[in-house]
Amino acid sequence: MTVTPETVSSTAPALRKRRPPEPAAGTRRRSLRPTLTGWSFILPNFLGFALLTLVPMVFGLALSFMEWSPWGDPEWVGFENFERMFRSSTFWIALWNTTYYAAGHIPLTIVVSLGLALLLNRTLSGLGFFRTAFFLPYVTSLVAVAVVWNMLFNPTSGPVNQFLQFVGVTDPPGWTSSTAWAMPAVIVASVWRDMGYYMVLFLAGLQTIPTELYEAARVDGANAWQRFRNITLPGLRPTTFFVLIMCTVASFKVFDLIVVMTDGGPGRATKVLSQLIYEEGIREGRFGLASAISLVLFVLVAGFTVLQFVIQRHREDR
Amino acid sequence: MKRYPSALAAIAAASAVALAGCSSPASETVDPSAPVTLTVSAWNLDKTPEFNALFEAFEAAHPNVTIQPVEILADDYPEKVATMLAGGDTTDVLTMKNVIDYARYANRGQLLDLTDFVGGLEKDKIAGLEPFDIDGKYAAVPYRQDFWVLYYNKKLFDEAGLPYPDHLTWAQYSELAKKLTSGTTPDGQKVYGTYHHIWRSVVQATAAAQTGGDQLSGDYEFFSDQYALALDLQNAGAALDWGTAKTQKVNYRSMFETGQTAMLPMGTWYIAGIKAAIEGGTSSVEWGMAPMPQISSGGETATFGSPTAFAVNEKAKNVEVAKEFIRFATGEEGAKVLAGIGVVPAYGSDAVTAAFTALPADELSRTTFTENKKVVLEMPVSDVTSDIDTILNEEHELIMAGQKSIADGIRDAGDRVKNEVL
Amino acid sequence: MTANLTAPVARKPTTNAPSGPRRPPGRARVRAAVHSVLLAGLCLLVLVPFVWMISSSLKHDNQVFTVPTQWIPREFVWSNYADIWTQIPMLAYLRNSAFLAITISFLQVLTGSFAAYGFAKLRFPGRDWLFLAYLATIAVPWQAYMIPQYLIMEKLGLVNTHLSIILLQAFGAFGVFLMRQYYQSIPDELIEAARIDGLSEYRIWWRIMLPLSRPAIASLGLLTFVATWNDYMGPFIYFTSNELWTVQLGLRSFVGQYDAAYAMIMTGSVISVVPVVLVFLLGQRHFIQGIATSGLKG
Repeated sequence: MTVTPETVSSTAPALRKRRPPEPAAGTRRRSLRPTLTGWSFILPNFLGFALLTLVPMVFGLALSFMEWSPWGDPEWVGFENFERMFRSSTFWIALWNTTYYAAGHIPLTIVVSLGLALLLNRTLSGLGFFRTAFFLPYVTSLVAVAVVWNMLFNPTSGPVNQFLQFVGVTDPPGWTSSTAWAMPAVIVASVWRDMGYYMVLFLAGLQTIPTELYEAARVDGANAWQRFRNITLPGLRPTTFFVLIMCTVASFKVFDLIVVMTDGGPGRATKVLSQLIYEEGIREGRFGLASAISLVLFVLVAGFTVLQFVIQRHREDR
Repeated sequence: MKRYPSALAAIAAASAVALAGCSSPASETVDPSAPVTLTVSAWNLDKTPEFNALFEAFEAAHPNVTIQPVEILADDYPEKVATMLAGGDTTDVLTMKNVIDYARYANRGQLLDLTDFVGGLEKDKIAGLEPFDIDGKYAAVPYRQDFWVLYYNKKLFDEAGLPYPDHLTWAQYSELAKKLTSGTTPDGQKVYGTYHHIWRSVVQATAAAQTGGDQLSGDYEFFSDQYALALDLQNAGAALDWGTAKTQKVNYRSMFETGQTAMLPMGTWYIAGIKAAIEGGTSSVEWGMAPMPQISSGGETATFGSPTAFAVNEKAKNVEVAKEFIRFATGEEGAKVLAGIGVVPAYGSDAVTAAFTALPADELSRTTFTENKKVVLEMPVSDVTSDIDTILNEEHELIMAGQKSIADGIRDAGDRVKNEVL
Repeated sequence: MTANLTAPVARKPTTNAPSGPRRPPGRARVRAAVHSVLLAGLCLLVLVPFVWMISSSLKHDNQVFTVPTQWIPREFVWSNYADIWTQIPMLAYLRNSAFLAITISFLQVLTGSFAAYGFAKLRFPGRDWLFLAYLATIAVPWQAYMIPQYLIMEKLGLVNTHLSIILLQAFGAFGVFLMRQYYQSIPDELIEAARIDGLSEYRIWWRIMLPLSRPAIASLGLLTFVATWNDYMGPFIYFTSNELWTVQLGLRSFVGQYDAAYAMIMTGSVISVVPVVLVFLLGQRHFIQGIATSGLKG
């Protein structure tokens, strides 16, 4: 739905290890007034958020230990849902596919968007046009994206395979109708869609690196690669960190694009966890099992995020 | 298993009784003339003319009732209805697109018990009622009973100088399809001998109906020959390959209506579709209908089909009017309306058969429709149906897309069903 | 581009607009040319799907798939763009989408920035835990709590109303998160000074924070607009009546019903993308202005 992590934009700097100023001990009075003022700011949003996001989510969490559907009474079943989940071959396949997607989508997106940002991070004519062009896929509706890419990837008459045949590939892949190539096809489409967004984040990051550093490096005789390696990359670290986290969360939650492009097929070749949650929960009405799967997905995402935080902190402490 | 159409063949001696029964609903206690808005769930209204036809006829007969369709996209119908019911939606009449979904909703107690109501209907005239019987209880009544036939393009047969596909065996069918694959349409599209739509039922339900195999059993050897046939046609280029049909979301209607295929195994619901396309001027196909090809010649025709039914929501606001609507739609009046637009009604009588004017005038089409045949339910109903359906579908995709051999696909489907479902 | 650029810029107003390392002329000109050609090539590659989309939308259905691909239609079928309005109620769909996207973006920015001020600049017990709750929800897939959410909506009697989607999406965690991050980049001294001047917290938010965070607002607004406009599942689950449908539902339904009408499907896709692109292009100028005028000037 709307709250896709990709849309949770920007502002890498804020995730830097940056402690808010601690108030002096004397000012830390337990007066009611700041509390009231604070809450009055948060309340308008929090009411809606709590009622429609937080409560359902906690409810969903509890459901993973229950056997329940809205047409019966909930019943505590302990880990039964988890046992059932671990027995299901589709769960393991979906887990593998989700990881596969993430392993392809995250690095590719980061490399491509960083590359684009580097290319655009200089004065050249038509800059605005290029930035717009690269950002365009991100604002395009998913239904349109899926339809277009499916047509492009058409095994027999699609332009992609026509091109491949033109350059001499005699047996081009079957893309979305092949178990081996369906996931790469989805990854290509998703990288195409997301790169503009992350490119913008990288562009923002690049602009925080003072030009003087490059001047100094050039005076010292550093070549382009050395400058990239020793100035750009370290300077971008907070941005990269932020992009990495956002991209990870988005990758593990991937749903819409897969549903509209392949619907998990052929067979189970592109079935991912969030799709399995949807199918078990909505189609089969097994809310308990669906909630158990989403708990696994949540732990997975949270685990990766925490891991990245730890690595980041470790690096900064060095 | 259901014999069809014992009801269709019967003489409509009781039609007067039916009408009488219709006009005197015993349980109606509310003021019958008070204005009511009845909500009915439906899909793709533009392309499914039966809904509006039934609604208009019912409104004409009941001036105080306004029917408000709740339109849902056909592809997403089961998910959407499941979500609605989970949330306590109060739509009065729910259309049961197939018996699998029916079993799901009924087992969850989301549909009103109609056992007594069904007891008051002419059960022997309504085909396809049997699968809706869950432990002696009914929660829906079928208004439509479709079965699968072989559509063919007369012009393409004539041009090739081949006889129409009258009671074929699969071997003859395959040979014919290969012969008919030649040339292009005026638009420059390739003409195929036949088109197999992407659904698993095209292969699996056909095999089950004709071999007597059980799709819930976990032993799927009986699919083998049918898969071999389908793949052979596809590899020979006599049928559009499954992968293209799937990724391109190819529509069987456009394949047939634009003359891109000479034959098409498909359900009888398509009769109304062709009729509408020809009347609307979007197609000029000269079509006919033949029985589904069989494994061997000479026997009784075996095919598969599935009923479509109306049910009342457990939380319906207008229960009595909803029942009245179902009585109308599943009775003779509704059946005539349906027959008039080319939809095969579940209710059968001579009057209804006479009203069925959408058929081509030739003898073969008429025989196909009226001959005695064995119509097996597309997919048996039980509490494991939907899980098995998912597995069979996934393995079907892999076999048809050439990602697994027939033997592997059948073995894996069986293993998964036995290990994870049964 | 988007205001995503702005937060860091606001933090370090000393660094200026895009300017790469300077080079001596001569060889540099060749390099610049190569660079431009490279960019143009990449750009073309990225735009291929759009070119295909537009080109297909101007063809007859049966000309969409041809071997070899026709990138320029043999005959321009402009009538597709006239016919689609009568084939499906496209105008009504566009209106619904626009209404939802604008309302939700407005509410999201308003409540999001209001709450963000509380999280970023005020101290009170429970604040950090509360924010953690907001953050954690971002990692949970929506499918996991979709049903409980639906049950609540049904209890409130809001299913099958536009209000359901508005409520659902206007209070999301991501607006709060984005605005808070931006507010944290605004120096606390500024707020302290305002407090000493006797401004109430509400006035500080209204008079100082809001004007300062214009780029972030533009960014959040644009992203929310795009997300709402392109959302499919939400409207699919909550809207049953055709009159409520958004462009995405309409388009999907069209694809479902007329799967061979390739050209018309592309026409619909092009029309569905145009409004978002327009909003983006309008917004882009605003962001750039925002970048130029942000910083500490207020």
